[in-house]
Amino acid sequence: IERNLVQAISREAARRRRRVESDVFGDLSRLLPLQPSVRAHLDKPSVIRLTLSYIRIGCDGAQDEEEKDTEEFEASQETNMYLGILEGFVMVLSTEGDMIFLSDNVSKYMGLTQTELMGHNIFEYTHPCDHEEIRSNLRLTAGGEYIIIQDFVMRIKSALTHRGRTANLKSATWKVLHCQGRAKVCVDPSAVSCLLLTCRPLPLSHTLLSRYTFTSQHSMDMRFTYCDQRVTSLLGYRPEELLGRSIYDLCHALDTSCLNKNHLNLCLKNQSVSGQYRMLVKGGGYVWVESHSAVIPSVRPSRSRPGIPQPLCILSVTYVLRCVHYF
Amino acid sequence: VNVTFEQQVDDVLVEEEQSTSVSLPSLMTPPSAAGMSLSVELTRKRKGSVDNQDSKCVSVPDVDMEDDQNRYKDQHVKVKCFREPHSQIEKRRRDKMNNLIDKLSAMIPTCNPMSRKLDKLTVLRMAVQHLKSLKGSASSFSEANYKPSFLPDEELKHLVLKAADGFLFVVGCDRGKIVFVSESVTKILNYSRAELIGQSLFDYIHPKDMGKVKEQLSASELYPRERLIDAKTGLQVQADLPIGAARLCSGARRSFFCRMKYNKISIKVEEKESQGNVLLESQKYCTVHCTGYMRSWPTSQLGAEGEGEVDKQESSHFSCLVAVGRVHNHSSPQVNGEVRVKPTEFITRYAMDGKFTFVDQRATTILGYLPQELLGTSCYEYFHQDDLPHLADRHRKVLRSKEKIETNCYKFKTKYGSFVTLQSQWFSFVNPWTKELEYIVSTNTVISYDPSRAGRSGNKSEQSSNPKASEDCKKSPPIIPGISSTPGTMIYAGSIGTQIANELLDFNRTNSSPSSGNVSPFSLPQDKSPQIHNQISNSVPNGETSDMEIPGKSSSESEPQGAAFSGGETLMENSQLDLESVVGPGLNSLSSDEAAMAVIWSLLETDTNLGEAVDFEEMHWSL
Repeated sequence: IERNLVQAISREAARRRRRVESDVFGDLSRLLPLQPSVRAHLDKPSVIRLTLSYIRIGCDGAQDEEEKDTEEFEASQETNMYLGILEGFVMVLSTEGDMIFLSDNVSKYMGLTQTELMGHNIFEYTHPCDHEEIRSNLRLTAGGEYIIIQDFVMRIKSALTHRGRTANLKSATWKVLHCQGRAKVCVDPSAVSCLLLTCRPLPLSHTLLSRYTFTSQHSMDMRFTYCDQRVTSLLGYRPEELLGRSIYDLCHALDTSCLNKNHLNLCLKNQSVSGQYRMLVKGGGYVWVESHSAVIPSVRPSRSRPGIPQPLCILSVTYVLRCVHYF
Repeated sequence: VNVTFEQQVDDVLVEEEQSTSVSLPSLMTPPSAAGMSLSVELTRKRKGSVDNQDSKCVSVPDVDMEDDQNRYKDQHVKVKCFREPHSQIEKRRRDKMNNLIDKLSAMIPTCNPMSRKLDKLTVLRMAVQHLKSLKGSASSFSEANYKPSFLPDEELKHLVLKAADGFLFVVGCDRGKIVFVSESVTKILNYSRAELIGQSLFDYIHPKDMGKVKEQLSASELYPRERLIDAKTGLQVQADLPIGAARLCSGARRSFFCRMKYNKISIKVEEKESQGNVLLESQKYCTVHCTGYMRSWPTSQLGAEGEGEVDKQESSHFSCLVAVGRVHNHSSPQVNGEVRVKPTEFITRYAMDGKFTFVDQRATTILGYLPQELLGTSCYEYFHQDDLPHLADRHRKVLRSKEKIETNCYKFKTKYGSFVTLQSQWFSFVNPWTKELEYIVSTNTVISYDPSRAGRSGNKSEQSSNPKASEDCKKSPPIIPGISSTPGTMIYAGSIGTQIANELLDFNRTNSSPSSGNVSPFSLPQDKSPQIHNQISNSVPNGETSDMEIPGKSSSESEPQGAAFSGGETLMENSQLDLESVVGPGLNSLSSDEAAMAVIWSLLETDTNLGEAVDFEEMHWSL
């Protein structure tokens, strides 16, 4: 009987402790800026994660309600416009890779909400082969704010199906994100050094002036295997003249590294945006262009020999951004 | 909602399980990690079943399952209810929670000074206090009409614009009136918002770009149909859309460059780094890359800002461009730091054999030749005779190295017969996929134009002990180590380059596997000939190829082209991005081409076991 009593007492004590703990978690969650429906479903680790983010951002919820409204409304309009142009979301990363902040439209692109992701570490969500690259981007050097500019491509898990619905993360797919941004290096100990990034999934769905774009296909070494007719009016070459030629031949000498990076991203991650580079025009001079490319698995569907891979090719859409430039 | 990579999870998993983070160990090297991610089998989580095989369960029927980890902690009773994997999960969960608590205590000022580690509850309580103090007078977020967000929109706006370093602007399509511009324009163009709003955009655009910007804002279009590309075949698919609709409909995107005025009072201009014809204009204009989309609003909603009441045609809709402008920086950083092209520099590109394939327009003012006069000709035809040996040596070197190679000063013949003294930096660019040399990029600096200094130049280099050269040391034909100079053979300067190129090609052919020309970025030449590499590297110190005898015949194996492979050892110091250096040494260890292809294939099938296949058939790219 004694034993049972002891057990009962300790059980009761444990229950009480748990209750107290739950209460404190509840208090904490009520201090976070969350929708009530979201708050109700938060588990304990998430509460802590979000609290951490909230503190790191430097929450300043203490503002006069009325003033806030109009200012905020304008600001949110502007931000929405911006994010709309960007076709992406904003991410703030700590030097260890914690996603301190994500704009709430992240759910549109990744199928996971802001509260589900904030506070987690980016390495948990990105392709292992990209970790090294991400790490090197996180190594921020000291000295001044907003100096270092980052531009890289990484693969991240997305719970979106291609019909736009949100699935469980168990059936996540890899999404290729193009990330650009700046490092904010803070010497002040109370502020956190971090990386401010805008992330947009590739491929981008642009509907640019079709007059200024042309499509091309390349073998994996970037030699043209096909080019549409529009290239003639834009660059002066006939499509036949380009077949077999490497894109490296046609770019300006100083843009080699830009294309190199693009090429590597294609090899490793399937998709890439080249950034702006110069393509030589027939007869002299060059134009500034930007290419959006992806690796396409072989077109031929025959799987009679499943062990042997079919040749891959690169599909590229090139936008001419500026008219002919003669140095 | 997270993924776990556990193979056997067949025990009770509670809600907390779903919140623990992915346990993808970051210790994994890329290949094995890739393997892991490919062979994930997500086990189904069965709730409510407890494996009692080796259990000595203490039955605690009214325990809240959520807190079983606490239960373990609190009770100090060794309960072996579950099999090993589960206790590992539990441990991980506890560790995670402890980790979070530690992070939290580090962020809270009142926790920091404590020397001993605080317990969980205390930290949590302090966190509550801290948040309350931060929020100040504002109460908890429970008002119905308040939209809670982690970052006030004002802050977010700043964040976004900071990240992208641009400014937002909205201009009417009709007259280009600037309807809105964000504050960040001040930092970029140095004009205040007040100065710009209401003005016409065209007042701030370079005259030569006005036509282009007008076109971007206008409604007319030559090819109205939206172009789609079938991602499967890469061919265009015609879509039917009425003329003009696609163009001006909301969402139609724009992207273009234009030169915009900026207020130059306090902005430092990077004149030296801008190229060509922008030199003069860089005083006043900077190149802005604008991307955005078209929007159309009914004027009834706009009030004073609409232009609808003036223009009949647009009385119902106000069309405008909503865009972000970002300053475009001309100078692209090169692989090895920055290459700043100063006015007395020009860039050229050579094929492997030294023939010009690209000539910067600036070369004309320096050399006298038009680019087309140089293209296709060999650089050796222009080099001064005395400089041929050392330049040939450098040529050899650059073909075998991934580093930038500097030449000494040398003389280059201009169109008019005189010589200019140049000094160049060469580096060879290798196609990351095929590993073949694409070309050599040369940054050429003018040292002196003075033709009277056409005396001795560049002879302080390694044109030293060359035993073979002394054999046929004649005065008129230049002695170039390695180039056959048997009597009776006229040495055409052009052939020097070709021979050097051929040496490399032949050597590569004899030493590479047959499939290396194929699609195989992961098999390095040195996989196939490690023996030769070792032998050669012992006998030839790095970089001293110039002193070695190089017989004219290219099939000789004793050639010190081991230096070529020594570049492979210093992958991390490569001046050029390489697949190996990006991905990591792990993938290098794959021995066969098939294994390499299998990895690529699995990486490219972007999702394999993580779920549904990305369906390329359904992926249409709209243009």
